[in-house]
Amino acid sequence: MYQTESSWGSYMPPRNVGDPLERIERLASENAVVIFSISTCCMCHAIKRLFCGMGVNPTVHELDEDPRGKEMEKALMRLLGSSSAVPVVFIGGKLVGAMDRVMASHINGTLVPLLKDAGALWL
Amino acid sequence: MASHGVGETGLSDSGPSNHHLPYAAIHGINTPSTSFFNQEGSSFDFGELEEAVLQGVKIRSDEAKAPLFRPAATLEMFPPWPIRFQQTPRVGSSKSGGESSDSGSAVNTLSSKAEAQLDPESPISKKASSSDHQSFDQKHLQLQQHQQQIEMASDTSRTGGPSELNTSPAKPPQEKRKGSTSEKQLDAKTLRRLAQNREAARKSRLRKKAYVQQLESSRIKLTQLEQDLQRARQQGLFLGGCGGAGGNMSSGAAIFDMEYARWLEDDHRHMSELRTGLQAHLSDGDLRVIVDRYISHYDEIFRLKGVAAKSDVFHLITGMWSTPAERCFLWMGGFRPSELIKMLTSQLDPLTQQQLMGIYSLQHSSQQAEEALSQGLEQLQQSLIDTIATGPVIDGMQQMAVALGKLANLEGFVRQADNLRQQTLHQLRRILTVRQAARCFLVIGEYYGRLRALSSLWASLPRESLMGEENTCQATTDLQMVQPPQNHFSNI
Repeated sequence: MYQTESSWGSYMPPRNVGDPLERIERLASENAVVIFSISTCCMCHAIKRLFCGMGVNPTVHELDEDPRGKEMEKALMRLLGSSSAVPVVFIGGKLVGAMDRVMASHINGTLVPLLKDAGALWL
Repeated sequence: MASHGVGETGLSDSGPSNHHLPYAAIHGINTPSTSFFNQEGSSFDFGELEEAVLQGVKIRSDEAKAPLFRPAATLEMFPPWPIRFQQTPRVGSSKSGGESSDSGSAVNTLSSKAEAQLDPESPISKKASSSDHQSFDQKHLQLQQHQQQIEMASDTSRTGGPSELNTSPAKPPQEKRKGSTSEKQLDAKTLRRLAQNREAARKSRLRKKAYVQQLESSRIKLTQLEQDLQRARQQGLFLGGCGGAGGNMSSGAAIFDMEYARWLEDDHRHMSELRTGLQAHLSDGDLRVIVDRYISHYDEIFRLKGVAAKSDVFHLITGMWSTPAERCFLWMGGFRPSELIKMLTSQLDPLTQQQLMGIYSLQHSSQQAEEALSQGLEQLQQSLIDTIATGPVIDGMQQMAVALGKLANLEGFVRQADNLRQQTLHQLRRILTVRQAARCFLVIGEYYGRLRALSSLWASLPRESLMGEENTCQATTDLQMVQPPQNHFSNI
């Protein structure tokens, strides 16, 4: 789970404001449920439908509509250790993961409490 | 090929010299030399001989052919089965001579078998020992004697006379008398019979030749088909057509089908373990081991499907790997988890309140996940349609490349669907007790087993029997036959 910022300093070459991972982290903490997506990606569409179907109103950042989206994509790929950067879900500022992690946590019943804790879901 | 050293040697030695005269003897009906062949008068009937011969041949067809080869060669005038027939020079018929190892029509006329009768001792003594073939042996002996006489008479180098024949050991006096009185005289009946034999022999040889030619051409066609298949597979022309047909499958699909078949066998084994474990009232610890093994067994098929999705996602998503009945209810390349849970809830009683809530919440969340994935897939479809259907084709290849890229996303959806299925099974395991979980997986396994059985039964029933009113009862009773009793769960 993505917890602190400082741990990443040893991995990444120090950059100024433009560190994509920092930006991602900043964006992720701004809302209860944050999804990084690409507008043409169908799996991203599926994950959006999942949260909407649960009554959650996620904040979606379409990386293809962001000028620095490309580098954020790369950063996400590194973060996830996967060839596809999106979709990626943060709940309460913390990384949950890609589609498989999200679905697994929904099935095993841990997603809803997480959403409730983050204030994204009410009874 | 029968390799009878003695016989062959003898045969080849005597062959050439004996070729022509017996043949001439038979065919030269009008020549006085045909008196070579013997006719004993009223006591000996060729028809009787032939009958006995055929009977003996039928009896002997199951015995070892090798030792009986020589005499059998004489007697099998109309053998309906392919026998091992040694290469013998044929009088005027070179065809069957060359087809030695698998001669189905080792039909030789009496005359041409003359050469074969050069080693009478062993078969005769052999047959003399078998009591049930006594009369048959006698007739056979007689026949041999005739042929020997032909040989003897025709071979000028031989000095043996009729007296030699009469001293054959296993001969009863009656036969002796017949042998001694045999003169080389052909009557009309015998000639006709011989001619018929020759005709039948010739026809048999022709039939056999035609059959062998057919076999050869089939073999060539088969190798050609195999080559075509190999080439086509390499070109990847074939998509999953009819399920299970090897001819139109990609290699990834074929590999997966094989692995799935093996998985089904393992599944059967696991189910037996579960069943016996439950019936034997094993301890929870022991049962847990079995249940966890079953879960790993399911993890394995999901892993295999993941690999297959990379090479042939269409094979998975169209359900060509499964049976028709399963395919009918297919969702994204497999079972729909919420449907499975619905099916299970009634069979998992008794459940605690907490368990019941857990099951319903599982059903609910899997429904939501399924809905999300389905909508994602719909969007993929729409996007694909937008790519290939609309507008003028400005750059066809570019369009196709984009479409291919979108199609590649299918793999992701099948993987996520399998992931959902896997997570559902794991969650079931968590909610239930060991015993309940064992029962649960047994129910799942049997349910899909019955679906598969339903598919095969459906395929085997003729369509008409499922249509008419009066026949639906038959169809249903047929179906009832495959259903094992459902109530054994409650006993556990």
